[in-house]
Amino acid sequence: MSSTHGTTKTAGAVVGPSAPERSGPTGDSPQVRAVRRRVQELLPAKTVITDHARLRTYECDGLAHYRVTPALAVLADSVDDVATTVRICAEERVPFVARGSGTGLSGGALPRADGVLIVMSRMRAIREVSAEDQRAVVEPGVINLDVTKAAAAHGYYYAPDPSSQQICSIGGNVAENSGGAHCLKYGFTSNHVTGAEFVAPDGSVVELGGRALDAPGYDLLGTVIGSEGTLGIATAVTVRLTRTPEHVVTVLAGFPSTDDAGAATSAIIGAGIVPAAIEMMDALAIEAAEAAVHCNYPEGAGAVLVVELDGPEVEVRQEFDQVERLCRDNGAFAFRVANDDVERALIWRGRKSAFAAVGRISPDYIVQDGVIPRTSLPKVLRAIAELSASSAVRVANVFHAGDGNLHPLVLFDDSEEGQGEAAEEISGKILDLCIEAGGSITGEHGVGMDKSAYMPRMFSDADLDTMQMVRCAFDPNNISNPGKIFPTPRLCGEVPGRHKGEHPLAKSGIAEIF
Amino acid sequence: MSVETVAGPALASACDDVREAVDGDSVDGVPPGHVARPASTDETAGLLRTAAELDLAVVARGAGTKLTWGTPPERVDLVLDLSRMDAVLDHAAGDLVAVAQAGCPIDRLQETLAAAGQRLAIDGTLPGTTLGGGIATNSSGPRRMLNGTFRDLMIGTTVVRADGVIAKSGGRVVKNVAGYDLGKLMTGSFGTLGVVTEAVFRLHPLPTASQVLAVDVRDATTAAALVAAVVHSDVVPTAVEVDWPAGVVAVLLEGTEQGVDSRTAATRTLLTGAGASTVDIAEQLPPWWGHHPEGVLLKLTCSLSAVGGLLQEAARQGVAVRGSAGAGVLYGGLPADAEVAAAVTVLRAFCLAAGGSLVVLAAPADVRSTVDVWGPVPALELMRAVKGQFDPHRRLSPGRFVGGI
Amino acid sequence: MTTDALAAAASGQSIDLPTPAFDEYRPPSAALVGDCVHCGFCLPSCPTYVLWGEEMDSPRGRIDLMKQGLEGDPLTDSMVGHFDACLGCMACVTACPSGVQYDRLIETTRAQVERRHQRTRRDKALRGAIFALFPYPRRLRALRGPLRGWQRIGGDRLLRRTGLLERIAPSLAAMERLAPRLGKAERLPERTAAIGTRRATVGMLTGCVQREFFPAVNAATVRVLAAEGCDVVVPAKQGCCGALSVHNGREPEALRFARALIDSFENAGVEWVVVNAAGCGSTMKEYAELLRDDPAYAVRAVAFATKVRDVSEILVELGPVATRHPLPITAAYHDACHLAHAQGVRAQPRALLNGIPGLQLREIADPAICCGSAGIYNVLFPEPARELGDRKAANVLATGAELLVTANPGCLMQVAASVERAGETIALAHTVEVLDASIQGRPVASLTGGGTSS
Ligand SMILES: Cc1cc2nc3c(=O)[nH]c(=O)nc-3n(C[C@H](O)[C@H](O)[C@H](O)COP(=O)(O)OP(=O)(O)OC[C@H]3O[C@@H](n4cnc5c(N)ncnc54)[C@H](O)[C@@H]3O)c2cc1C
Ligand code: SF4
Ligand code: SF4
Repeated sequence: MSSTHGTTKTAGAVVGPSAPERSGPTGDSPQVRAVRRRVQELLPAKTVITDHARLRTYECDGLAHYRVTPALAVLADSVDDVATTVRICAEERVPFVARGSGTGLSGGALPRADGVLIVMSRMRAIREVSAEDQRAVVEPGVINLDVTKAAAAHGYYYAPDPSSQQICSIGGNVAENSGGAHCLKYGFTSNHVTGAEFVAPDGSVVELGGRALDAPGYDLLGTVIGSEGTLGIATAVTVRLTRTPEHVVTVLAGFPSTDDAGAATSAIIGAGIVPAAIEMMDALAIEAAEAAVHCNYPEGAGAVLVVELDGPEVEVRQEFDQVERLCRDNGAFAFRVANDDVERALIWRGRKSAFAAVGRISPDYIVQDGVIPRTSLPKVLRAIAELSASSAVRVANVFHAGDGNLHPLVLFDDSEEGQGEAAEEISGKILDLCIEAGGSITGEHGVGMDKSAYMPRMFSDADLDTMQMVRCAFDPNNISNPGKIFPTPRLCGEVPGRHKGEHPLAKSGIAEIF
Repeated sequence: MSVETVAGPALASACDDVREAVDGDSVDGVPPGHVARPASTDETAGLLRTAAELDLAVVARGAGTKLTWGTPPERVDLVLDLSRMDAVLDHAAGDLVAVAQAGCPIDRLQETLAAAGQRLAIDGTLPGTTLGGGIATNSSGPRRMLNGTFRDLMIGTTVVRADGVIAKSGGRVVKNVAGYDLGKLMTGSFGTLGVVTEAVFRLHPLPTASQVLAVDVRDATTAAALVAAVVHSDVVPTAVEVDWPAGVVAVLLEGTEQGVDSRTAATRTLLTGAGASTVDIAEQLPPWWGHHPEGVLLKLTCSLSAVGGLLQEAARQGVAVRGSAGAGVLYGGLPADAEVAAAVTVLRAFCLAAGGSLVVLAAPADVRSTVDVWGPVPALELMRAVKGQFDPHRRLSPGRFVGGI
Repeated sequence: MTTDALAAAASGQSIDLPTPAFDEYRPPSAALVGDCVHCGFCLPSCPTYVLWGEEMDSPRGRIDLMKQGLEGDPLTDSMVGHFDACLGCMACVTACPSGVQYDRLIETTRAQVERRHQRTRRDKALRGAIFALFPYPRRLRALRGPLRGWQRIGGDRLLRRTGLLERIAPSLAAMERLAPRLGKAERLPERTAAIGTRRATVGMLTGCVQREFFPAVNAATVRVLAAEGCDVVVPAKQGCCGALSVHNGREPEALRFARALIDSFENAGVEWVVVNAAGCGSTMKEYAELLRDDPAYAVRAVAFATKVRDVSEILVELGPVATRHPLPITAAYHDACHLAHAQGVRAQPRALLNGIPGLQLREIADPAICCGSAGIYNVLFPEPARELGDRKAANVLATGAELLVTANPGCLMQVAASVERAGETIALAHTVEVLDASIQGRPVASLTGGGTSS
């Protein structure tokens, strides 16, 4: 299965031949019916969605290309709703999929036609903000930015800032180990979550981690973060709050080419500076952003860098001088500084609008997400340019240059015969370039449904098997978001007292036994 | 033929450095049969495969500084001594990434990195501590407050499983969300899930200047106020440590010369404002810095606002405390002949109520038998299930970990 | 196919294929639906999503429902319920980075719903009653008369007890309670001359609700425009702009109103048509789209629409000439959805207010979220409207401002009712009333005096 679709500017399932069926034949099996009846008995009527039109609004997440209508949806209001639903699913061996705000870009929250979608978006209370403990306790449906808003009055904020922070949920962040422009300096979700209340795939409720650090026992919390909902469902999350920096400076530098901007990036990092963010856009991405938001980036730039420095004022000023010198040394012909929030927003507006803005210069596009070692940037960018030139598929590049996280936007027009496939192919080849350079097939969007087929290119069978041992420990029946991350499910072996005889999946040829 | 007679030759065929164990090889009082020193991940895998065939219990050993931590193994047949696997395999300075073998002492890695003006922002708490040992015990020092621990800085791992299969997770790039993060699972697992043979780390630039501000303080309330003043400020301390009841609060500032100077001034003002009578400023770290207290060793954690209360309670129980007041992770020490069990009970109750925990890291056997080493561990059933998958026959450090895992 | 249909098919019964949701006449555009990339950025500013946290009551979900309809799914009660629950506040249009024209989509969808969906008798009756009342200034006036009478004899207790008024318009009722002495609805002269040099000739829409319940706002608008050098023409024969009808899918009615309004302004010889009610202005700016298929009016509608300006827009475009006298007061400015989201007018009212010496402007938290008034929404869906009103009132009160300023009569009534429910009071005024007070040199008390502007 080839599958590298990102958000496309199309409503229907148009890209690629491999989209799963909208509704599977097992959507109304006796087990599913039993689950439906039992949850309807136990949960309030408004919590359980069975209406077809309503269910269809949950068909997809931010990767609209894959669509599956869930057999039913539970809009959970409490940990009890979640635990009850999961327990019933476990007893009936019916799969379930958690969903936060549905902004995921890898099809992680893609429902199962034969399963239950457990929607966390109604569980959105901020239970506690404790500046003195540098913690907030929030329900998983709480929107990322709302944590920062709640902490701001105390001089604190929640550091992980995915570009989708205005809507993505903390639960989704935990599942995807989300990061943002500022994770270069501050790290990812896993560095900022200290505890979680968690419903395991058998419906039991457990505490992972805690308010303090270093809870005794295995770091199950660290394992659950980034597991894309395949190990269970977080129903409350304790996050670490970070002091709002004393001083922030944002600069915009225009360069003749991405090579120059890349060299400047290396020079900045090489000088021992850890900026809060270094973002790069190439000429095509700049063109799109200009078309959308008139961000007024330096004219004629082949690349721009957005560099943000934050921290104690004296250091920020020193670093700023260095950054300016290093940019100019590496060919920057324009250098702008934002001194307040309004000017800063202006600089960021072009960068933040980039994904959506590409819609203005191309009817359809794929958002790719790959990582390379920072020092390979120039080489890989040149290779991408060659790919693009030889195939006549345009690629716009927007990326977190500081940590080598590329977001190539592969442009195409789906109304033109064959363009979708060509774009798919380029998109896939870009991932190959990332793997060859010693990088990763995903830096922040996750594997989900979309990239499971690429996992074997990055990991050996043994690696994947080992990861799935964790899966087997948490979810021996493979009912928690099955079909995501791993291309082939692992059978969990003879657990004493559990199933005997040939496993039904192996019998049907779906799974191999490792 | 008995296992013992088969074991020697079988192990020797997997690794050219296998010997019979001697007295000093005991693991927390449990004598092993053999000691093997593999030179590579492949050799380690061969040894573990052999061990699997013969059902040998295996304990991995780095510098052996923390083998008495936790609980002793139920049985040991083979000690895997990783001291031959001590190489720094790669230092990609431009990418701020380093790859090293598990047997490499942290100090050695730091020397290599320092040559390029970088460091792994983790303190080696005991001299000689290896990366593998640090990872297995998730040990950390004062700088964790700003930079985190192994769990935060390790971005890739190579592990040999109990059945001898080699598995990798993560990678060589900092930003990476492909697959489960097995590195986190291995961190702090006391060698009960697999043997880490290689690890990849994200690095930080070495600061060019540093200052330590130390305040002598008598009462815990003032100490807590000093800590809070610095923690909830803009001076970005690398570490905020306490030494109690010695009565010291110390703040480490690192960065550029100008920056550290100005933050030193700001910090001094903060400390004075919070009740410090005199503030000593030095470039050298105080002698107690980063060293565990003497005696029975406890690890105490609590929420930040409870640190002052913990100091008070510890003093009342005769427990000396040192550690990161800024992170809420402290180490306690008390004489083995004291009322250890009583102190543990009281302090554990305090830590639990403050959202934390108390673990008896190291204690003589007779003391250990009187206390609950780990205390309550939530989600223990899931942990057992993980162990059941990774090591169903309980061959890796059996009994060394929580709940008898 | 529904599961019932599947079961029926499996058992060999014949089944009726469901009728597709939309017919050929102006269905929601598939291309516009296709513009949505499903990023979800619109969700947090959608009032119904804020209230319920459910996909089907979010812009993205509603677009999905339209997509289902376009794919041939039937127009079910549940689907219609979610379209109906949309406040039409257009916050989603502002929020969308991909430029999805949800406003177009929901308008065409609503017209289809009104034409093709069988509403319950109760729902039909309620909607009928509303549309027999609101767009007709004269009928509104009739309602207002008795209100004042009732108030005098203490009969509003009776009204409150029957609950009739509460249901038809809880905010009207609250407004009546808040306003012990409703001003007399004075007639505006058909032509008012500019003071000083004439800089423009403008026509003014008097509006339905505005005219009957907030006559002072219209009077203030005329005074301010004249003071800033405008000849102000108020055509006597003007009727409703059709906004409520457009927003509720009553297309034929809307077209009728639009044509009539174009007629009344066309020969008035004005350069601009100035509007002081946000909801009216946004609809009038869209006449070109509304009448594009009407050969007799298409071109005229374009000409008309390009002349329409919110009063704050025209005042900023012209620039101030009249002297502003100080008004030492703290004011919170509330963005009316149909001004901020539908017309993109946010900066101008703030600029005007900031131009008044002594006035201190405070921002209200979550400014993008609708107050729940939304035309007749609070009549049709009193509960969510009340919740939204309560949220807004809390945010307004949190500013600590003495005066709440906004540019829409519906918002004024809604927020007033909610503030009152919270057991608090705040003075209310339209932006032009504040300007008027400043230009005329009236004291702050003229705005804060009776707890209301009227
Ligand atoms: C325009 C745009 C920009 C983006 N930018 C970034 C970016 O900069 N960085 C980044 O990291 N991501 C980015 N993303 C991706 C996405 O926003 C993140 O992955 C986000 O964390 C998903 O959150 P969500 O609430 O939408 O989760 P969903 O999409 O609903 O779900 C994502 C996954 O989490 C699981 N899940 C959800 N809730 C829970 C729970 N409570 N417990 C367990 N599992 C759960 C789901 O099963 C699914 O696998 C972007 C997306 C868009 C559309
Ligand atoms: S118009 Fe308002 S209520 Fe309707 S979908 Fe958009 S934001 Fe939601
Ligand atoms: S913001 Fe726009 S593109 Fe994104 S989901 Fe909403 S309507 Fe669709």
